[in-house]
Amino acid sequence: MMRRRASLILLILVGLVGPWPLGLAPAAQTEVDRAAIVTPGSRSNEGWDQQGVDALVAIGEERGIEVDVVENAGYDDITPILRDLAADGADLIICHASGYQTVCPEFAEREGVPVVVTENPEAVTEGLVSDVETEAQEVAYLAGVMAALETSTGTVAVVASGEPPTWNYMTAGFAAGAKDTDPSVEVLYSVIGEAAYDDAPNARRTTETVIAAGADVIFGMGDGASFGMIQAIREHNAAVSQDEEVRFIDVIGDKSDSDVADFLLTSVLFDYTGAYNTFIDNLESGDFGSIYTMDLENEGVWLLEPPIEVSEETIEQVEAAEQAILEGEIDVPAIAEADELADFLEDLPEGDA
Amino acid sequence: MNVLETLLQASVLAAVPLMLAAVGEAIGQRSGLLNLGVEGVMLAGALVAFIAVETSGSFLAGLAAGALVGAVVGLLFGVASARMAASQIVLGLGIALAGQGATGFFFRERYGLTQPLLEPGMSRPISDLSEVAVVGPALFGHKWFVYAAWAGVFLIAATLRFTRAGLLLTATGDAPFATEAAGVDVTRVRVAAATAGQALAGLGGAALSIVEVGFFAPGMTVGIGFIAIALAMVGRQDPLRIALLALAFGVLRGLGPAIQLTEWRVRVEFLDMIPYIGVLVLVVVLGRRVRLPAALGVAYHREARP
Repeated sequence: MMRRRASLILLILVGLVGPWPLGLAPAAQTEVDRAAIVTPGSRSNEGWDQQGVDALVAIGEERGIEVDVVENAGYDDITPILRDLAADGADLIICHASGYQTVCPEFAEREGVPVVVTENPEAVTEGLVSDVETEAQEVAYLAGVMAALETSTGTVAVVASGEPPTWNYMTAGFAAGAKDTDPSVEVLYSVIGEAAYDDAPNARRTTETVIAAGADVIFGMGDGASFGMIQAIREHNAAVSQDEEVRFIDVIGDKSDSDVADFLLTSVLFDYTGAYNTFIDNLESGDFGSIYTMDLENEGVWLLEPPIEVSEETIEQVEAAEQAILEGEIDVPAIAEADELADFLEDLPEGDA
Repeated sequence: MNVLETLLQASVLAAVPLMLAAVGEAIGQRSGLLNLGVEGVMLAGALVAFIAVETSGSFLAGLAAGALVGAVVGLLFGVASARMAASQIVLGLGIALAGQGATGFFFRERYGLTQPLLEPGMSRPISDLSEVAVVGPALFGHKWFVYAAWAGVFLIAATLRFTRAGLLLTATGDAPFATEAAGVDVTRVRVAAATAGQALAGLGGAALSIVEVGFFAPGMTVGIGFIAIALAMVGRQDPLRIALLALAFGVLRGLGPAIQLTEWRVRVEFLDMIPYIGVLVLVVVLGRRVRLPAALGVAYHREARP
C-alpha cells in the first residue's frame, strides 16, 4: 500500500517538474512519407490551385515524399475527401483554400491527422493544425505603384473573382500603392461573383466593363477566371491602336512565357515551397502547429520583373517602394474582410479620371 | 465604347450560348422528352469545338464539331428514353455528371497542365456600323456567328409554328397516342427531336468556348445548362420567347459589373442573385401561364395505349 502511494507521488512529481509537465508533452515526431493537397479548383489554372500543387509536388520529388493531389474539390464539405486521404496514409494534408478554414481543423481534431489551413491563424493547434498566411498586400502595393506610373488614362482597375482574405489583402495593397504614388489615379474595383474563381465568361464581361470605364491597367485576381480577363484584354488590344492598349497585372502564377506576355505588366507571385518545407520539417521534429507568413522578406511573395517594356523611372520607383516596405517606412494596410475593404476603398481620395 | 454600350453588347453575346441550349431543350420538351443533361452536353460541345478550332484553325469546323457531339449524345438519349423507355430523369442527370467529369478528364489528358487560348479570329461582318451611339455595338459589333445564331432561332421558331413538322413535334409531346393513331411514329419523332435539340445544346457549348471566351476550362458552363432547362419551360417551348428571356438574363447578369462602377454599395452576393431573381420573377409572373406538354417526361409505351 505504502509502495503504491509512493509510486503515485513520484509519478506526479515527475509530471510536474519533468521537462514536459503532464498535458504539455510535445507533439509526436512524424516521419512524412506521404503528403496530400486538396484544392478547390483545377491544378492547371496557373493560379492559386496550381501554385500550391506545384510546390508540394516539387517538394515531394526533392524529399522523396509521395504526394496525393485532389483538385476541383469545390467548396462543399470535403470531409469524405479528407477521410479518404487519411485512410490512404497521408501524414499531412494541405487544405489549400480559405474556404476550408473550418472543416479541416475539425477533421484534424477528430481524426488526429495534421492539416495546414489558409488564412486562419486562430485554428493553429499544437501537433494538429498549422496555418499559412500571405502578406501579399506588400507586393500588391508595388504592383499598384507600377500601375499608377504606367497608366495613360489615369484609371486602373481591380477585377477579383471573389472576396477571400487573400484577394482582399491584395486589393487594399494595390489601391494603396496606386493612390500613394499618384492620388489623382482612379481605382475601380469590380468583383465577378461570390466565388467565381472559374467563371471565365463573367470575368470577361466584367473586364470589358472596366475597360469601357477607362481602365488601361487591370489587376486581375481570378484563378481559372483570369483567362476570361485575359481574353477580354486580348480582344480589346487586337482592335485598338498601340497607345490604347490595356495591360494586365496577374497574381500567383507566372504567365510570362504564355500568350499573355505581350501585355503582362507584372505579376504578384506566390511560392509555397518555403511554407510547406517548414511545415514538413516541423512535423518531423515534433514542432508542428505554427503560422508561416509568406512575405517580401522571406520571398514567399514577390513581384515579377515586367515582361514588357516599362520606363526606367517606374522600375526605380518600384524598387524604392520595396526598400521602404522592407525598412518599415511604408506600412501597407492589411485588410482581410470585405466590408472593411469596401470602407477603405470608399475613403480613398477621389481620382481625377 | 462606354459602359452602357459594353453592357448591351456583352448581353447580346452572352445570350447566345444560353439561347441555343434552351431552344434545343425546348425542341426536346415539345416532343415529350425532358433532358436534364444539357449542362453536360454543353461542356462536351465546348471541349470538342475548342479542340477542333485549336487543331484546324477553322471556327466553322469547331461549331460543326460542337453540334455533332451534341447530336450524338442527343441520339443516345433519344434512343434510350424513347425507344428503350429508360428514365429521362436518370439519363439526364447521368449525362450532366458524365459531361462534367469526362470533359475535365479529356481536357487534362490532351493539354496536361497548360491552358491554351484561341486567337481572336472570327470576323465581325458589319462592325463598321457599330459607331451608332448606344445600340450600335450591341446590334452591329458582333462576330458573324452571333447573327447566324439569332437568325437560326427565328428559322426554328417559324418551322415550329408554320410547318407540319412543327405540328407533329408538338402533337407528339401533347398526345402521343393520338399522334401514333394518326400514323406518326412517335418514337422516331422523339429520337429526331432529341438529336436535333441536343445538337443545338452542343452548338451552344461551342459558342461559349470558341465565340464568347476563346478557350475551354473544365466546368466553364457554371450552370448555364440548368438555366437553359428552366428558360425552355418558362418560355413555353417557344424559341422567340426563350430568346428574349435569354437576352434578359444576359442583361441582368451584366448589371453586376455595371452597378459596381457606380457609387452604390451593393454586396456581391446580391449582385450574383440579380439574374436568378429575375428568372424567378419571370417564373412567378409567367409561370401561371406555363403550359408544359402533357406527356413531358413520360415514357411512351405503344402497348400501354388507353
